[in-house]
Amino acid sequence: MSRDAHKADLIRFLRTIQRLDAPALEDGALDEHTSLVDSGLIDSLAVIQIVSYLEEAHGIDFRTAGLDPENLRTVAGILDLIQLRRAG
Amino acid sequence: MSRCTLGSLIEVEGGLEWDPDEIERQLARRRAHFAAADLQPGDRVLIAFGNRAAFFVELLAAWRLGACVIPVDTRSTPFEVETLARAAQARFAVVDAHTGADKREVLNDLGLTVLDTDSSCQGGEAIDAHERGLPLEADALILFTSGSTGEPKGVVHTHRSLLAKWTTLKRHLGLVPYRRTLCALPTHFGHGLICNCLFPWLAGQDLVIAPPFRPELLMRLGDVIDQHRITFLSSVPSMWKLALRTSSPPKRGTLERIHVGSAPLSAKVWDDIRAWSGTHEVYNAYGITETGSWIAGTTGEDADAETRDGHIGEPWGAEIRVIPTRAGAGTPNTEEECAPGTPGHVWLRTPALMRGYFGRDDLTAAVVHDGWFATGDIGFKDERGRLHLCGREREEINKGGMKIYPGDVDAVAERHASVREVCTFAVEDANYGQNVGIALVMERGEAELADLYAWLKQHLAEPKLPVRWYLVDEIPRTSRGKINRETVRATCELGEPVNLAALLRRAS
Repeated sequence: MSRDAHKADLIRFLRTIQRLDAPALEDGALDEHTSLVDSGLIDSLAVIQIVSYLEEAHGIDFRTAGLDPENLRTVAGILDLIQLRRAG
Repeated sequence: MSRCTLGSLIEVEGGLEWDPDEIERQLARRRAHFAAADLQPGDRVLIAFGNRAAFFVELLAAWRLGACVIPVDTRSTPFEVETLARAAQARFAVVDAHTGADKREVLNDLGLTVLDTDSSCQGGEAIDAHERGLPLEADALILFTSGSTGEPKGVVHTHRSLLAKWTTLKRHLGLVPYRRTLCALPTHFGHGLICNCLFPWLAGQDLVIAPPFRPELLMRLGDVIDQHRITFLSSVPSMWKLALRTSSPPKRGTLERIHVGSAPLSAKVWDDIRAWSGTHEVYNAYGITETGSWIAGTTGEDADAETRDGHIGEPWGAEIRVIPTRAGAGTPNTEEECAPGTPGHVWLRTPALMRGYFGRDDLTAAVVHDGWFATGDIGFKDERGRLHLCGREREEINKGGMKIYPGDVDAVAERHASVREVCTFAVEDANYGQNVGIALVMERGEAELADLYAWLKQHLAEPKLPVRWYLVDEIPRTSRGKINRETVRATCELGEPVNLAALLRRAS
């Protein structure tokens, strides 16, 4: 799967957990480097749902050394994690 | 309160570290500012920020001058801060650089003297103000547990009740495991403030302060524990949902004890925390704000025993009675205790009991009888006298350990012209265990929901905003005309919630 395909899949997932009053998530409109929590797109503890998504969809184990929680702040960071996992 | 030996204060973010000498200098400076602003014994000081070293120093400075402190959730809206400040008849407020202009404005408009810990308390000579001898019966803390939008219910603790709490905790738990304590809980409620922080810090143990419930911190909790050589932390179960799955365990072996409280702890999570942390001293701590929080828990022989859902353990400086009747129908002095294994109403007697609810003797009289406090919890004692909890009568929504009172949300919604009837209730939530659901009878159906949402958002702290909305023709009532929130939830969940997200987008 390409990065774009992973991104499209991720955005479909983020739509299911975004906050009630967050703006609609359009595939091309989201800045990959925008903080998901600080921008009000998701609740801070919804990060746990992103963790579940990455575990289930991509087999990522966060307890493995070397994964930086900061990666979960943005779409770009999450996509980097997915690529790292795919490459590893 | 007599002078005590203080521990150091360390902030996880930013690296600030105050040793006891620096804390005394900071205290002197703040006392001078309070005194210059004419703070008098008995004055009430609202502190609008938390989870910083400066918070603890402001609190102690106010105490040493004889004032009573009201810590308020940082996330409160200006409307909520105004409601609480008015209800508490506060004369002073302390804010920090992050306190918004709208909050400062409502505090100023109420006539409070507003001090900024980040500007007014910097620099200058540490001129010591005269410390005042404090009667133990003086009010020390008011912790608002509900009513932030209407009729606030503030738990008043005196210096005597707090000292009783800390003395009994020290006797039952010791101090050694708490010598390097991590606070990752909010400092405006009993569990975080009285027990997690003040108990060890005022007894000379070091306190490492973190922002509350910060996911990035929880995901590196093991590293934080190692880096700061943490020996103890208290927690709520929802923190562990994230930490156990994402953080590598601590490696340096400093951690000796963990408390988990404020929400039910399952045996599974309990075992997982033991395995992750490397310590068997994981205590399920039962606490109630009215009793100064921690009142019982799993210690002694039980600390190594098999974990069980609902198992609390032995009292920590309190008597526990389980009787068949609730408050108003009898007391432990008049009723026989339930047989082992038989559930009943849990009552507590402790020298750490609150003085009462601020300005609400009626509410106090409803729960305190003959020195006993009716908790509103349902539980039983086993053959060995250990307490187990199995339910509660109270209406609160337990959102990851944070208590939300449905009446607070109802009170704001009812004031909106489009709302004919409203009932707020607990719904299941994957992240928090419980979250806020709301059933509404509207004048014009969906048409005004977006406006109502904006109204709620303006008046309610973010965690209290309902996440699941139901439109109904009527709120179901019992045959006696009362609303049972659990029945309303069950009725609502037979149907579909409103797609509020789509509705809000259409409206924007």
